[in-house]
This record gives sequence, C-alpha cells and structure tokens, in this order.
Amino acid sequence: MIPHILSDMFIELNLSTAIQVVVLGFIGGILSGFIGSGGAFFMTPGMMNLGVPGVVAVGSNITHKFGKAMMGSRMHGELGNVDRKLGIFLILTSFVGIRFAVWLNTMLFEGGTGGHGEGGSAAADLYISLIFVCILSLVAISMLRDALRATKEDSGPSQRIAEYLSRLKLFPMIHFPVADVRVSLWVISAVGLATGYLAGTIGVGGFIGVPAMIYVFGVPTAVAAGTELFLAMFMGAFGALNYAFQGFVDLRLTLLLYLGSLVGIYIGAYGTKVVKEIIIRIVTGVIIILCVISRAIAIPMYLRQLGYVEMNPEWDRYFNQASKIMLFAAGISGCAIILWNVYRGYQRRKQVASTLKIARAETVA
Amino acid sequence: MRNICISRGSYSQGKELAEVLARKLGCECLSREDLVEEATKAGIAVGKLETAMLKPGSFNERLLLEKEHYHAFVTARLCERMLGSDLVYHGRTGHLLLPGVSHVLRIRVVESLDGRINSAMAKLRIPREKARRYLESVDDDMRRWVRTFYDVDWETAGHYDLVVNLEQMSTGNASAALCSVAALPDFETTPASRQAMENLLLAAQVRLELAREERTRDSSFRVLAERGVVLVTYQPRDARVAEFVPAVVHRVPGISELRCTMASTSILWIQEEFDAAAESYRQVVQLARRWNAAVELLRFVPGGTEEVGPATAPPGAAATAPRSREYNGGIEDDVEHPAEGEDGGLRRTQDSLAGDGVAGGAHVACCRPDRLLDKLDSRVKYTLVVVGNVFLQSGEAARVRKTRELTSTLSDILKAPVVGADELKKTYMFSPGQAVKQILYLALVAAVFVLVFTHQETVVKLLHSEGTRAKLLAAIGVGVLVPCFAYLYGTVTKFLLKLIRIE
Repeated sequence: MIPHILSDMFIELNLSTAIQVVVLGFIGGILSGFIGSGGAFFMTPGMMNLGVPGVVAVGSNITHKFGKAMMGSRMHGELGNVDRKLGIFLILTSFVGIRFAVWLNTMLFEGGTGGHGEGGSAAADLYISLIFVCILSLVAISMLRDALRATKEDSGPSQRIAEYLSRLKLFPMIHFPVADVRVSLWVISAVGLATGYLAGTIGVGGFIGVPAMIYVFGVPTAVAAGTELFLAMFMGAFGALNYAFQGFVDLRLTLLLYLGSLVGIYIGAYGTKVVKEIIIRIVTGVIIILCVISRAIAIPMYLRQLGYVEMNPEWDRYFNQASKIMLFAAGISGCAIILWNVYRGYQRRKQVASTLKIARAETVA
Repeated sequence: MRNICISRGSYSQGKELAEVLARKLGCECLSREDLVEEATKAGIAVGKLETAMLKPGSFNERLLLEKEHYHAFVTARLCERMLGSDLVYHGRTGHLLLPGVSHVLRIRVVESLDGRINSAMAKLRIPREKARRYLESVDDDMRRWVRTFYDVDWETAGHYDLVVNLEQMSTGNASAALCSVAALPDFETTPASRQAMENLLLAAQVRLELAREERTRDSSFRVLAERGVVLVTYQPRDARVAEFVPAVVHRVPGISELRCTMASTSILWIQEEFDAAAESYRQVVQLARRWNAAVELLRFVPGGTEEVGPATAPPGAAATAPRSREYNGGIEDDVEHPAEGEDGGLRRTQDSLAGDGVAGGAHVACCRPDRLLDKLDSRVKYTLVVVGNVFLQSGEAARVRKTRELTSTLSDILKAPVVGADELKKTYMFSPGQAVKQILYLALVAAVFVLVFTHQETVVKLLHSEGTRAKLLAAIGVGVLVPCFAYLYGTVTKFLLKLIRIE
C-alpha cells in the first residue's frame, strides 16, 4: 500500500500493472536491441499511460538506462568501438544539459499542487509530451526519408554538415583518435548540451547523440553507437542520481523494466543479424511515428487539465486509453515483425544443410 | 613470369618508375587509373565508392556491395593479365590485392616531401604552401582508403618486399636495381604461386558473376576457391537468394565443386593437425552453430628458418614447403594435391565442416609465426580465433611458450578474442562452476525483488525522503543498487539465452 501523501508520485503496483511494466520493458528492450539506440521512446510514454507521472517515468527510465548502457558499453569497448576521448568531452557538456532538464522538469512538476493530470503533473506531462512529439517526429521523418532515398540512390548518410563545419575550423579543433575526426570544441559542446538536455527531458539522448556524431562530426557508425553507449552510461548515472536526489525515481518500476528489457535486448540484437539494414530503418521509423501519434493523442487531455481547452473531464479516460492502445499497437506490431524475422532466421539456418547438398549434387551432375 | 606491384603516392615518381621498369623488362604497364576506367565501364560506381571511402561514416549497404564488386573486378583483371604475361602494375594497394601469391614483387616508392612539393608546384602551377596542403590532403585520403579497404596502415613496411626511396636515386637507376631484384629466384613463378593466383582469379570471377546476375546482385557474398572447389558464404539475411547461387556460379568455367555456407560471422581455427573426430572439433562446430558462424581452417606448419626440411617438419610439411626462403606467404605446395593423411587432416575436416553446414574455407601457411596471417584476407573480421595444437615438433615446455607467444601476436593483429582450443569449454561452453555462479546470481536477483516488493511502502518512503541527508542516501542507494542488479540479472539472462542458443 502506497502512503496517500505519495500516491501522486508512485502508482499502486498490482500484478496486472507489474506485468504491463515488464511487457513495456520487454518491447522496449527488443526495439532497443534492434534499433541500437534507446527504447525509452516506448517505455516512457508507456509508463505515463499506466498513470505514472511524466517526471517519475523519465526518472525511472533514465535510471534503467544507466545499468543497461553499462552492460552494452562494456561489450562495445571490447570491440574497440568506443572513442573515450570524444565520450569524455560530450559527457562534461551533457551533464550541464541534464542538470538543466532536471531543474526544468522539477520546477514544472512542483509548480502545481495536484497529482497526475491535476495541475503540476499535467504541466510537466504536457511539456515532456510536446518535446517528445517534436523531436521524435523529426527523427522518424529523417530516418524514413533516408531509408527511402537509399533505395533509389546509392548514397550513405549526408556528410554536408560535417564537411561544412570542418571547413569552418572554429578553434580550438580537437582530434579524436578512434573516430579519426577533428571537431571544434564549440560544436561538441552544443551537441553535448542538446544530448544531455533531451536525455534528461525525455530519456532519448541517443536519438540525438548518434545522428549528431555521424552527420555533424563525421564519426563512423559503429564508433558513434559505441561512444553513445559509453556516454549513455555516464549520462544515465548522472541523471539517475539527480532524479533520485529529487525523489523522482520509482525503483520498483526500474527493476520491473529490467526484467523485460534485458531479455528483449538480446532478441532484438539477434534480429539485426537476419534483417536488412533498410528494413531496420523503415521498421524503426514507422514504430517511432506511431509512438509519436500515441503521445500526441494524450496532449488534449493535459491541455484540458491545465485549463487551456474546454472538454468533458470524463473524456480523459478515452484519450488515455486511445493513447495506450496506439502505443501498445506500435510496440507489439514492431516486436511482431522483429520476432517473425528472428524465427525466420532460425528456419533458414535449418535450410542450410539442404542448400549445401543441392549445390554439391548439381555440381557433381 | 615477372609480376610487380608498385604502391605509390601522389607526385612520388612512382608512375615514371613503373613505366621505365616495364620498358626495361619488356612487359605491359598497367595503372590504377586504367583499372578504374575499366571498372566504371563495367558499371561499378567507383566514383561514388571513392567519395564515400574518403569520408568516415558514409558507407551504406549498397556501397559495401559496390566495394565487394570493385575488389573482385580489380583482382580478376590483375590475375588475368598476370597469368597471361609479365606485368608492372602501379597504384595504391596492388601490394595487398593478391594475398598469398608469393611471386609478386611488392614495392613501395617514396620521395621526399620537398621533391613532391616541387613536382606538384611545377605540374599544377600552384604556390608552395598550397602544394604542401594539397599533398598532405591526398596522403590523408590515401591512408583512409587503405585503412577502409584493408584495415591496415599504408606505410607499414612489412607489407612490401622492397621500399625504394627516390630522393637520392634516379628512376633509371632504381629501375635497373628493381630489374635485378625481379630476376631473383624468390620472385619466380612456382606451380604453388601460380595455383594461388588461379584460386584468387576463380574466386573473383565467381563473385563478379554473382554481381552481374539480377537475382544475386544485391546480396553480399564471400567467395573462396581452392583448386576448383568454390566456397560461397552468405549472410542469413540473404538466405532467400541462396537457391540461385548454384545456377549462377556454374556459368563460370573451371569449378569442380561448389559449397555454400550461411554465416553472419567467421571463426578462424588454427592448428597443425586437424581431426574431425576430436573433441575440439565438436566444440568449435557447436560454437559456430550457436553464433551462426563459418569456420575457416588455417593449417599452420611452422617453418621460420631457411630450410624447412623433413628433419624438423611434420609429415607432409616437406612437401608443402616450396622453396628455401623465409617468406612464402601461404599455400605453398609445389606438388599436386597432397595425399590423404599428408595434409594434416585438413581436407577431411573441411568436408566434415561442409557436412555440418559451417565450412568457411581452408588455408595452409608454411612460414614463421609472425607471417602467419599473410595468407588471410585482411578485410575479414573474425569473431573468434581458436588456436589448437601447433608447434608439434617442439617439446612440451617450448610448445606451451611458443603457443602463448603466437596467441599474443594474433590478439594484437586481429583485434579479436584469441583462445586456445582447450580453453573453449571453459570460456564458451557450460561448466558446473558456471551453473553454480548463475544460480547464486539468480538467488540474489530474486532476493532483491522479494525485498523491494514486500516492502514497497518503506522503499517508496525512502525514495522520497525529506532533508538533504536522506535525499543523498536515497540517491546513493539507487546509484549502487541499480548497476549491481543490472549486472547480476544481465549475466543470468545472457546465460539463460545461451542455453536456448540466442546469442
């Protein structure tokens, strides 16, 4: 039983809710393993749909991200995909971004007196949802545009920004040995701040960090992913400590998320071995778009709670349900595609022996 | 047959030297630019490839395929010409294009920066500073190209037979010296080196045929050939096109047998004597199946001295040592197929691997341990390297020491985990000790869950305490508990998924 005074912050966890959080973690883990970045874009709104205040959902998720990134970074480090020097430069500036995000979230949450959907929580929820919708719409659209363009043209990610900035030579320029690039300290600081701010606000810093490293710094994709995990580990730790200090981490949710996500990550990562890169990008883009729509559906509810629009309070339930259904539809359909491909990968493996025999028999004939 | 590959930088007089040398030897001179033109005419987007190659992070799947096609095209054209007549080739990476072909003389031409700047100033009519910047930028691009294509350093002298510095020497004198070097018996074509080149040609032709065919054009393949036996490895994601491979490959003449393996990655297995009935074979196959990997065999017959004679070499080694010199770069048997049993069980093991669906090709290296990898394609990334029984002619203590040294050298070069065959079980298989550890971890995970969920009220109160000290304690508690829990549960999950073969 949660004390009444804290029931605005920490939801009552029964078996059904707990299972739903584990499922959120599992789907988020599969998406995270498959996409290689985040999973928070699904888990954070999912928890908000279960009645968790946005700021607690972000706090619990960033804490979950901390341990997850720690495991991933270790593996990438062994493969030599981590540019520690670049990671350290980004970490220092991202901490400022995180601190700012935590301060803003806390201020919005504490600005009101009510609970979830009643004043303070609604302001923070609306702010988180708006940032979520704006940023992830941009990410999904660029991802889909890139994927569709790649089918027509044979070009890789555009290097125009990286080339332009390297020509500018904004001193001091710093050389990063593993990524083998020279980047201005000012550009790194700006990217670090933005990554930290978004990680602290919606828990999806990776969606900004990885593309920024590839498009703005010109870092190879594998090094960008490895360095982002290294960065995520520190950002996660810093964010977790900050949110925990403010009392916005629900440890129960974090543990339940782990229960599903660490299994999902391995399955998702296996999926990348058996699915083409173009399909990975399209599936990811579509899933993010659906998550964005799901969050957008919940926005009128927060607007009503803050008194910006007139609407029957009874409708909140329907908005919340619609948003929840949309989110789960996105996650479950995405997972179904990935799991189907994993299954097909297994099946194909079985066919190898027969392919081999046919080939040899034909040759002999 | 005289085959010479010259690696040159911009304005380093490498082109001039190659032309003079070709004239003196009375053979054809081929430049990289000629090959690029031919490749472009054949429909390979070399321009796009070149642009992408020089910019980090700009490679997509399409360009990676284009890279495969270009590599196959260049290998095929070079091998065709070199097998037909003497040839001097000058370009960037000719020295890396034909691994294991020992009669190719690999030369690097260098010139002082001042000399190069003067040449660039005269030819391009640009000021000194601009010429210097231009050359530095071209050199950077060149280094990046070699690094991206072969994952090696362009300047590493070990990749060349000879480095010629034209700072003090004229191209005429340098070419005269090179004519003498090319005439040495070390660079004469032997049946083994010719066979190695024919193998490369056949593999490249098969790869090109797969690139020309509409149904297989968009898939990635790794092709190896050995005396007419062709091994095609493809990714699980390209499994749907695998059925077309036999029909396409058979269009290429000279194939006696075709083997197809689906694999996402490769395991390199190095031994002196292979045995398909051994426990280590079973373990390697089990691991390959779990990881969707192809197993590439490398039979290593140590021979670091001038003479690799029957007195010190194992059965079959004498036959596989082609001539008395240190570097022989790979398959080196001047005789026809070694008889069954004289190849260290290589062929039988290869057949067994093919039957198990995890064959990834085989090589023989008869050389010093530090030259062991010359035979291998530097573009292939191995997930694991297994070192089994090697240095069999040495005593127990020496064998252990030499194996340890070899393992250490391989770790440095290959950037992949290198383990002994006897460590496979301990490292990658399941042991009772591991099971106990996992049960302990699982118990700790369960204990954390029970504690947190039976004391939810206390936990929630602790997490939202008032006062700086209490808040600090809550933050530290979260900061300590969460990573520990992630580590414990992550390790258990990984172990359980390993059991059902998801890795």
